[in-house]
Amino acid sequence: MAEIIMPKMGDAMTEGKVVRWYKKAGDVVKKGEPVLEIETDKVNLDLEADQDGTLGDVAAEAGKMVEVGGVLATILGAGEKAQPKKEVAAAPAAEEAPARRAIDKKDSIKHSTGEYGEAIDMKGPRIDRTAAASSATPATGDNGRRRSSPLARKMARELGVSIEQVQGSGPGGRIIANDIKNFKPASAAPQKAKAPSLPPLQQLETKEIPLTAMRRTIAKRLAESTGPIPHFYLTAEYDVTNLLSLREQVNEISGIKTSVNDFIVRAAALALRHHPSVNASWGDEAITQHGEIHIGIAVSTPEGLITPVVRNADQKSVTDIANEVRSLADKAKNRKLTPNDYQGSTFTISNLGAWGIEQFTAIINPPNVAILAIGAASAQPVVIDRQVVIRDRMKVTMSCDHRVVDGALGAEYLRTLRSYIEQPVRLVL
Amino acid sequence: MAEKSYRDAIRDAMMEEMDRDANVLIMGEDIGVYEGTFRITAGMLKKYGPKRVIDTPIAEAGMVGTAVGMAMLGLRPIVEMMTMNFAIVAADQILNHAAKVRYFSGGQVDVPMVIRGPQGAGVQLSAQHSQTFESFYAHFPGLKVVAPATPADAKGLLKSSIRGRDPVIFLESAALYGMKGEVPDDADFTVPFGVSRIAREGSDVTIVSYSRMLQMSLIAAEKLAEEGIECEVIDLRTLRPLDLDPACDSVAKTHRCVVVQEQWKPFGAAAEIAASITENVFDELDAPVARVTGEDVPMPYARNLELLATPHEQHVIAAVKKVMYANG
Repeated sequence: MAEIIMPKMGDAMTEGKVVRWYKKAGDVVKKGEPVLEIETDKVNLDLEADQDGTLGDVAAEAGKMVEVGGVLATILGAGEKAQPKKEVAAAPAAEEAPARRAIDKKDSIKHSTGEYGEAIDMKGPRIDRTAAASSATPATGDNGRRRSSPLARKMARELGVSIEQVQGSGPGGRIIANDIKNFKPASAAPQKAKAPSLPPLQQLETKEIPLTAMRRTIAKRLAESTGPIPHFYLTAEYDVTNLLSLREQVNEISGIKTSVNDFIVRAAALALRHHPSVNASWGDEAITQHGEIHIGIAVSTPEGLITPVVRNADQKSVTDIANEVRSLADKAKNRKLTPNDYQGSTFTISNLGAWGIEQFTAIINPPNVAILAIGAASAQPVVIDRQVVIRDRMKVTMSCDHRVVDGALGAEYLRTLRSYIEQPVRLVL
Repeated sequence: MAEKSYRDAIRDAMMEEMDRDANVLIMGEDIGVYEGTFRITAGMLKKYGPKRVIDTPIAEAGMVGTAVGMAMLGLRPIVEMMTMNFAIVAADQILNHAAKVRYFSGGQVDVPMVIRGPQGAGVQLSAQHSQTFESFYAHFPGLKVVAPATPADAKGLLKSSIRGRDPVIFLESAALYGMKGEVPDDADFTVPFGVSRIAREGSDVTIVSYSRMLQMSLIAAEKLAEEGIECEVIDLRTLRPLDLDPACDSVAKTHRCVVVQEQWKPFGAAAEIAASITENVFDELDAPVARVTGEDVPMPYARNLELLATPHEQHVIAAVKKVMYANG
């Protein structure tokens, strides 16, 4: 028994149409005789009998579409009987692959087109990575990366959409431009609401932890600070959309991975040049204004807080600051800081943005008279020209020593800082 | 303006340049007495005589070598290949001599010559005579590679080729010889190299092509327009120099790109074009750049198989829908 199957006539062909049958079930057919005509999207052609026999089942009527490899008819040899369709379908395992059988005939159009079909099948990567996978496939690769088109990522950045929340509609769940355009946040919940992962559970026990020299110093100096220093706090919210975009460009062009904080260090230092009375220390007899601007940066280490110093930060580029801060932070984490690295600051910045803290107040690091507490930047709806637009906003709280810095001076300083942060081109002029 | 065929536009370009400059001459197989296998050179022997319209033996390496020498000494030879497939015989003369002389002479000697002839499938000339060569020649610095899609461009680009300082590979599409179009009459009408044009404006998908495939892409674009998909079609005109600025600008607008070429897919012109577009406007792409190419087989003689092996507008339509994620 032999089967006549729908041949694959081209790369794009997935099915073909039965145009007409030259023979009907029960007719005697000779090897090489045309049995039926099929139509593909490119050509019409006759399919011929592979062997002498009787036409058995005609599986598809004229006008029907049959997928490539689908059985069109069987040809029964002498003495063979038509078998129920189920068995026909189950049979091929023991035999030659059906796709080959339809072309197993020399000097016929079936042969040449069949080989041609094989040639097409062989081209290109064996794994068709361009094939449209079902969109039910999770839109992540092996490493959890979301599949997305470059344009979709660009639009997500510009619109402040978190790509993690978008359902992709492209092949393999790829997130495409339309998905970003049509994306609506699920609820009023903030967009970056990733499911918070809890820190690991700790063993509960009663124990005494001896004070390290570092912990003693932190305690003494900060107690000194809140004790004798009359603190007050000023909070401002800055638009950092342009600063974030500048940072991306700086990173791209310089190849140096700068952080938002590196820009703030420079901005704070430049703003101090406008308000030297903030760059000062309290003394019992006099207030000292410092001739140089050294910015202390609060760095958390396993042992506790330390504030390494970027010296003359107002004279350094953002990329220089980035390199220096990274090296200081590494040293701090490895306890390699020398006193020269952490003494002599004239102003301090503490940034808890990386922890998702929106706003906090920091305690002044004496003998400084002010410290900036930087919160996380986040995309927020803002009204500009009576239109609601999404902008990145960041809250900054300045703690001031009222003995030296009065409210108006602190406010002036924050206003100057706003100019640097909201028009960040000033940072690179 | 007058309506002319692609074939007549090529002949007009050569005759106008031969009238303009006595140093221009043409040589090739059966171009004189027989007036050309594709009748490109009809009437030229009669007008210019055997010193400027030279019937050669069947010796392509000799023809090109002779032309390189002529060009080095100040003539402006045009070599007609009966088909560009025969120029393979002269590959050493073209790639290692014509393309290298200026470099080797420290810029002292130019080789102003044109090697022109038909290429491509569609006229049942089988595996050896249906090939396309743009990626082959465009790989080599020192050559210019031209592939016009319209009669006007055929004329304007050929005149630029003849007047220039460089060896030019001028690839005509055998299947376009009979195509008609408006061609400027001005004897000084030329089309510069390295300036792509927008052949059709659209906003949804950018199709980049050249030569015969450009015409096919325009047909596909019209059919797609009936379904509400507007394609912008870019005609590259020259493969070396290659001007991808209009294509990149267009992709920045449409965010989707299909490149169409007749030749085989591996290492073809479409690979270079797609890679360059990806390098230049990566962030604008909403789908991978798709390629429509010929099938990866020697060209069959049989008409039905030749049709199966060459790109068809249906392939362009399918590729456009794929990059639009419109295939359901």
